[in-house]
Amino acid sequence: MLRLLSFTVFLATWWIAALLAGAERLPPPPAVLAAIATEANSGALFFNLGVTLARVALAFTLAMTLGASIGYLMGRVRLANRLGDPWLILLLNLPALVVIVLAYIWAGLTEVAAIAAIAINKLPTAVVTVREGTRALDAALDEMAKVFAIPRWRALRHVILPQLAPYIAAAARSGLSLVWKIVLVAELLGRSNGVGFEIGVAFQLFDIPLLLAYSLSFVAVVLAIEIVLVQPFETRLSRWRPRAA
Amino acid sequence: MQLEVDIARKAFTNAAGERLDVLSDFSFTLGAGEVGVFVGPSGCGKSTMLKIIAGLDHDYQGRVARPAGARTGMVFQEPRLLPWRSVEENVRLVAPQADEARLSALFSVLELTAHRSHFPGELSLGLARRVALARALAIEPDFLILDEPLASLDNALAARLRDQIATLVNGRTVTTLLATHDLEDAVRLGDRLFLLSPRPARILTELPIRTPRGARGEAEIAAIKADIARRITGDCTELDA
Repeated sequence: MLRLLSFTVFLATWWIAALLAGAERLPPPPAVLAAIATEANSGALFFNLGVTLARVALAFTLAMTLGASIGYLMGRVRLANRLGDPWLILLLNLPALVVIVLAYIWAGLTEVAAIAAIAINKLPTAVVTVREGTRALDAALDEMAKVFAIPRWRALRHVILPQLAPYIAAAARSGLSLVWKIVLVAELLGRSNGVGFEIGVAFQLFDIPLLLAYSLSFVAVVLAIEIVLVQPFETRLSRWRPRAA
Repeated sequence: MQLEVDIARKAFTNAAGERLDVLSDFSFTLGAGEVGVFVGPSGCGKSTMLKIIAGLDHDYQGRVARPAGARTGMVFQEPRLLPWRSVEENVRLVAPQADEARLSALFSVLELTAHRSHFPGELSLGLARRVALARALAIEPDFLILDEPLASLDNALAARLRDQIATLVNGRTVTTLLATHDLEDAVRLGDRLFLLSPRPARILTELPIRTPRGARGEAEIAAIKADIARRITGDCTELDA
């Protein structure tokens, strides 16, 4: 109910702003809706959204898997941390644009280059977060697992991962938002489809309704994924915690 | 299934950089199925010793030969349950081969039946301690390490759990180590008692009890307790603290 109210306020503000600024600069909601409808009818909207989503899913999965493994290793093994730390600081502070441009130069304007570039941008934050989580692991539970000779994989699943879950969830949350932002830049610079490419086209044609149509559809998809996937997952992870009042 | 322990020295370095000796010249052997009880003042190094024997701490001088191929169960001083798994899942995690009948029996003896699906965060400390005990017993251990398992339980329950541990230890060959400062636990459960000095802990006296556990009368138990109390005060007045 509150969400609906907040959405209505957003629409109203937009409409009033459009009236004040003029349809040239900010088209009112019906004009954008019409642009969305046109793109949806031609199928281009769903195709481009799908392509972008696939890139996000691949890059996100790649970065999370690699990042969590490297972060765990660096949190557990001091030597790995010493060796990895300079690289980590380099990657953390390297601008996304540099990674994307270099990836396209070295690997060509290919799908692999795009996905790798997005993943590399997200990787270091996942490493840092999971490394912190690994350092905070409860040594008392490790000892318990060792005394009872719980096999490594069972211990990982039942003892270690539940402790890392909040950190992995935090890495996923911040990582997902980072990937949403970077994927469009990567598409704008080096792909010939996807939401980022369409926004680039709209920018060149100065087609503001088309630009907003893609932006808002993209935002809608992000919100839907947040509500349908991310939030229920977080709730499930914390179900053993005593409920807050 | 014999346990041989010979710890020449175990020291910690504290935050100020000073070395503190915790154990020195600590050696004993325990035959298969024997219950060795360590009685000493709190903070004397019992937990440190048990951790070394359990194989959790390798930073010491000396040698420990654990029973070869033994299934080891341990009750730590704190329950150390997984907060994100239910009581039953906590027990099943270490004992995947335990069948339903045995688990039910164990839960019912420890009065945990009503709490099987509860999470550890919903339990009192006394209940959590019982779950920790259930977990150690569920694997049918050959080698059992108990670090003050009955602390903070009320007397009636402690007595019942003590009987439970005694039954298990009598029923199978379980080499058991028990650290306690409760003479009642020591005398009712132990085959051999080791009286420890304050830190750095040494074994002051080794005291075998020849009468089998079940056959010990109240008078005999009282006599042994009095004997221990006398030795402790004779050897070291700090134990009263």
